[in-house]
Amino acid sequence: MAAIHFGYTISKPRAIDLDRNNLRKSDEILREMPELQTCIGCGSCTAVCTAGNLTEFNFRKVHTLVRRGEYQGAYEEMNKCMLCGKCRLVCPRGINTRGVVLLIKRKLGDF
Amino acid sequence: MNFFVPFCIPFIVGAVAMFITLAWKWGLWLYRLPRADKKRIVCGLPTRATLDAAGEVVCESLLHRRIFRVNPLLGYMHMSLAFGWFLLIAVGWAETIAYVGFRWVPLQGHVFFRYFATGLPHKPVFAFIMDLLLLFVLSGVALAWGKRFFSKRMGMRRTTRHVLGDRIALSALWFIFPARLIAESTTCALYEGGGFLTGTIGAWMGEHISTMTLLTLESVAWWFYSSCLGIFFVALPFSRYMHIFTEIPLIFLRRYRLRSDEKESSYDRFQVDACSRCGICIDPCQLQSVLGVDNVQSVYFLRDRRYGMLRAEVADNCLLCGRCAQRCPVQIDLNTLRINSRDRLHNIPAERRYDYLKGVDRSSGTGKVGYFAGCMTLLTPRTLVAMERIFHAAGEEVWWADRDGSVCCGRPLKLAGETDAACKMREYNTELFRKHGITTLVTSCPICLKVFREDYALDGIEVLHHSQYIFRLIQSGRLAIERGAGQFTYHDPCELGRGSGIYDEPRAVIEAIGLLLEPVDTRENALCCGSSVANTAITDGQQLQIARSVTAELEATGAGTIVTACPLCKKALGRGAVHAEVRDLSEIVADAVSK
Repeated sequence: MAAIHFGYTISKPRAIDLDRNNLRKSDEILREMPELQTCIGCGSCTAVCTAGNLTEFNFRKVHTLVRRGEYQGAYEEMNKCMLCGKCRLVCPRGINTRGVVLLIKRKLGDF
Repeated sequence: MNFFVPFCIPFIVGAVAMFITLAWKWGLWLYRLPRADKKRIVCGLPTRATLDAAGEVVCESLLHRRIFRVNPLLGYMHMSLAFGWFLLIAVGWAETIAYVGFRWVPLQGHVFFRYFATGLPHKPVFAFIMDLLLLFVLSGVALAWGKRFFSKRMGMRRTTRHVLGDRIALSALWFIFPARLIAESTTCALYEGGGFLTGTIGAWMGEHISTMTLLTLESVAWWFYSSCLGIFFVALPFSRYMHIFTEIPLIFLRRYRLRSDEKESSYDRFQVDACSRCGICIDPCQLQSVLGVDNVQSVYFLRDRRYGMLRAEVADNCLLCGRCAQRCPVQIDLNTLRINSRDRLHNIPAERRYDYLKGVDRSSGTGKVGYFAGCMTLLTPRTLVAMERIFHAAGEEVWWADRDGSVCCGRPLKLAGETDAACKMREYNTELFRKHGITTLVTSCPICLKVFREDYALDGIEVLHHSQYIFRLIQSGRLAIERGAGQFTYHDPCELGRGSGIYDEPRAVIEAIGLLLEPVDTRENALCCGSSVANTAITDGQQLQIARSVTAELEATGAGTIVTACPLCKKALGRGAVHAEVRDLSEIVADAVSK
């Protein structure tokens, strides 16, 4: 059966074992930016993202993975951000998203 | 005549130490200037710029004209200390010449002349002038004392909190002139002479104090005076008072067209050390007045940077609205210094960043006029629709650069200190504009406007903000507007007003549509909406707090509609407004277009 292509795909199912991941960096990030814990994962940030419009960059995905201790590739992904700040304007929880990008880059520069 | 006694030693040591430190600092900074800057200095030396700079030095370093504009009493305080002390030195030299003729007199001979001149015939005119000048300076010192307790009287709600080194130098400075008064008076008490001030006090002392006590007092007083001078001179190059001497070369270098840039350079040292920490920048800062954040203002930023203790929290917590720079009496380029500090703290090499930009072009339409809405405008679709109606009504053929997604202009990256990455954005967009052969570039976002004008190489392409573009359409008759009964107030976006100097066009457009009511703080003094992309430190709640304070002022004009010309300001004010409607300039124009 020919599937209809809507222009997006579903992420592959995966399991993250929080007991095995090292959450030290994640804790540091949340300590400096506690408001990130209020994220409801609505994805508005990703929907309006200037960089996300042109590439695979997905802010919600990256910061969610970082909070779960999955740091691999997060720095490189965050470097795709142009810091334009649209995400901050649409965030329903008023999270300082640009600050989050800069913070994650600062904390995970060597991962 | 021998011009040396032991009490001169502290003064001589201090003065020598100061001049050596000054020469070393200036020499190093000048030596480290980039080659292009050195060339500018050499080329500028024989021109008018040198004369203009000398004039500015008199007006600013001595008379402090710009501080008078902030507050006359504050201006008088600074002038009496600077100009008064200068005159004391200059007239003192003339006095020495009048007494001993044209012969070489060592430095301490001029400074402590009253001590050495006891055996010479009395010259009442000089005594009078010198006393008058001393009184002039003392009045400044008294005001400086008073400012500690009654700063509001002098136009300052808050004054600078000083570090220990500054306090030492400050105390020494405050004691110098009272010490001089006592020292000269005791000498007058013993040997007569002196003017209306030192002479009178001296005569009174002579009557009431025994000669033996006076002799001891004289020695102590002159030692104290000399020590105060010595301490002040030693502390000067390492304290805020370095500004006294640094402002002078800064004025010259600025006239020779040296400028700070997004990367730190040696010229910045002249700017940083020229800050006198007067604290005039504290009051206009909205982070201070609305949020109570009181350690990030330009005065503290420059201080921390100068002493090498700048932290990212201080450098990043600034709206870069430019309200402080607008008031700075030394006219330090505060925003650029803040940006290049951020560059040093945060810039990362960007050779391989944004490789995904290759071959992206989602523009549509053809035309010599390009319209770059800007990221933020894409979030305010009403502006976009209004612009479309305006273009249509004016019959303009437009190339839409970014209606279906685009690349950011690069200014947010630059403001965050990632200047190398911002370069990539510039390269991409410049290439895009060139490819489509536009001759005019219109943007609705003042942030984009500023970066297009200042950092892009867009020769042959005229960059306009939509307010300017609409104003031209109306003026040339291409856009017919119907005037209505609406009452508007206008909020100057920082990047458009102070940033790009565009104040009149948006106002002219509004006045063509309805009645314009000005808020209390307007034009150069306009408030910032609080949502500036330059600040990555404050929270959403704090942004909202600032927005509310700004809209309260705008709503106080009684206007039913707050008009602004920046999508970011529109978003911010929209959140803060209680009963007024917040609209972009293009929206009210689109509504007023004659059908």
